[in-house]
Amino acid sequence: MSEAHANEINEVKEPTKAEKVAKAIADRFPEAEVQVKTNKWGRQRVWVRIPREKYRELMGFIKALDREAHYSIGIEQDWGDELGFLSHLVIHYDDAPAVSLIVDVHAPKDDPVIPDISEVFPIALQFEREGMEMVGIDFEGAPDKRRLFLPDDFPEGIYPLRLDDKGVSEEMVKNAGHPYYLKGGAKK
Amino acid sequence: MTEKVEYWVKIPFGPIHPGLEEPEKFILTLDGERIVDVDVKLGYNLRGIQWIALRRNYIQIMYLAERMCGICSFSHNHTYTRAVEEAGGIEVPERAEYIRVIIGELERIHSHLLNLGVLAHDIGYDTLLHLTWLAREKVMDTLEAVSGNRVNYSMVTIGGVRRDIDEKKRKIILDMIKYYHEVFPQIEEAFLHDPTIEARFRDTAVISKRVALEQGAVGPTGRGSGIRDDARWSERLGVYPDLGIKPVMPQDVTGERPRGDVFDRMAVRIGELWESLELIEHALDGMPDGKIKAFPKDNVLYAKLRLMVDGEGIGRYEAPRGELVHYVRGKKGSDKPLRWKPREPTFPNLFSVAKGVIGDQVADFVVAVASIDPCLSCTDRVAVIQDGKKKILTEKDLLKESIRKTREINPDIKGDPTPVGSSCSR
Repeated sequence: MSEAHANEINEVKEPTKAEKVAKAIADRFPEAEVQVKTNKWGRQRVWVRIPREKYRELMGFIKALDREAHYSIGIEQDWGDELGFLSHLVIHYDDAPAVSLIVDVHAPKDDPVIPDISEVFPIALQFEREGMEMVGIDFEGAPDKRRLFLPDDFPEGIYPLRLDDKGVSEEMVKNAGHPYYLKGGAKK
Repeated sequence: MTEKVEYWVKIPFGPIHPGLEEPEKFILTLDGERIVDVDVKLGYNLRGIQWIALRRNYIQIMYLAERMCGICSFSHNHTYTRAVEEAGGIEVPERAEYIRVIIGELERIHSHLLNLGVLAHDIGYDTLLHLTWLAREKVMDTLEAVSGNRVNYSMVTIGGVRRDIDEKKRKIILDMIKYYHEVFPQIEEAFLHDPTIEARFRDTAVISKRVALEQGAVGPTGRGSGIRDDARWSERLGVYPDLGIKPVMPQDVTGERPRGDVFDRMAVRIGELWESLELIEHALDGMPDGKIKAFPKDNVLYAKLRLMVDGEGIGRYEAPRGELVHYVRGKKGSDKPLRWKPREPTFPNLFSVAKGVIGDQVADFVVAVASIDPCLSCTDRVAVIQDGKKKILTEKDLLKESIRKTREINPDIKGDPTPVGSSCSR
């Protein structure tokens, strides 16, 4: 085998930054589902699904991977029988492309407790406050559980972005909504 | 011996016009003139965008996303489109990518000029306000000529762009670039070398790198504090790497290391004005011929999206104010996304500046808030109008009240004030 050819094989096999991060997480957390997906314009993202018991530990691990990890968004959502909280982080951004990392954690609706990670990423607290008022996830140990967006006189126990009967009922809606689709949320 | 007594006073700052003409409330704890603590209260502009989006299809949400904010309407539409394209695996023609760059950078120029004017206005330097906003008119006119509108351009669609840039529009843009090569040196001279500006902006509202990292500061706010990140660059977005995108840091503009004060954030914006001009020039030169949309008609797009979007997608783009993220989750067979959530750059920046102003004088607060270029309408997204204990006036009530008031002022008024048309459910 010529040397040039050997180099070529090595180049192909060299894992990208995203794959390295995915491997590090998969090695450390065997219970996590780790996937590297590539989109049409060649951008890789690492999608991690983690059980809630290991959630805080994983966030600590990510922070240890890159001290300057950037927590960009927390997304609260209703999955039907579960509530989910998905975070997007950008790490290793000292050179392009940075690693785009998505961490998803779920909790059943009858026990919607997810550990709070504001010790690791302080800004996460604000997204958690939004998650608490919008879909009713309970972030265990969050230092600030006040409402962020909703007015103070909004009824307790109603979560606007829930798709079940705890969501906004028809009677609460005043001259809002699309004239054709007043009923119902997104289809299951 | 007398004990020192400290008087801490809590004052509300806002919700009317804290720095910009948009509603947001800060509760400042003051020790004399010194700020001790800042608490942020959001939600004065809740319009229930995410809730409304649960009842709209992919194409309708494009227009909804655009109307979240007038100044960064392209950014929202673009980022949402990227998220849907990722979830559906839709490819964008190369010419469309170049047109997206051009409109995005035109928008950046207009947004940065607006913010520079606001900054000058907040320290009472209205001559500079008029200079920058006069210069801004040129880019607004260019945007109108290219897209047909000064704001809410509707240029982007899923899988491409709506309108092409032909020879005539190209000439208008080149004209604008020539104009700005004459005007920007004046603006740069005034902002970077004026002693009044320096005295007022230097070491005001310092956001240290540590606070910026903790609170996730993005865009000029993050870069002003020394975080070298730009979503266009770190995401390798579209054709940006080919055009030579690089994060603009304060040291590239001022020659000094980043200090994280108002001056550095402003310097980053000045640097980005020049960078945007360069990017537009490069994009106009390198633009290939070809298609501008993946799907020729909206009804085809609608049908395709129903089948193609299955799963989750993330869109990341550097809006004028910083990293903008949209998330879309869809399911095959449904024409609506199951979840759409945008996160605006002002959201983390607001909490960064709330930490940054601690220890400063209360008089600096206005310019500190303006220095992150807040876009508060974007930040508040969700609302449900409801009957609580308080009486909340709905649109219908307000209309009734305004009709009553008009009749009171002018009892002889003629004409029927009831709204015409059937498309609105009021």
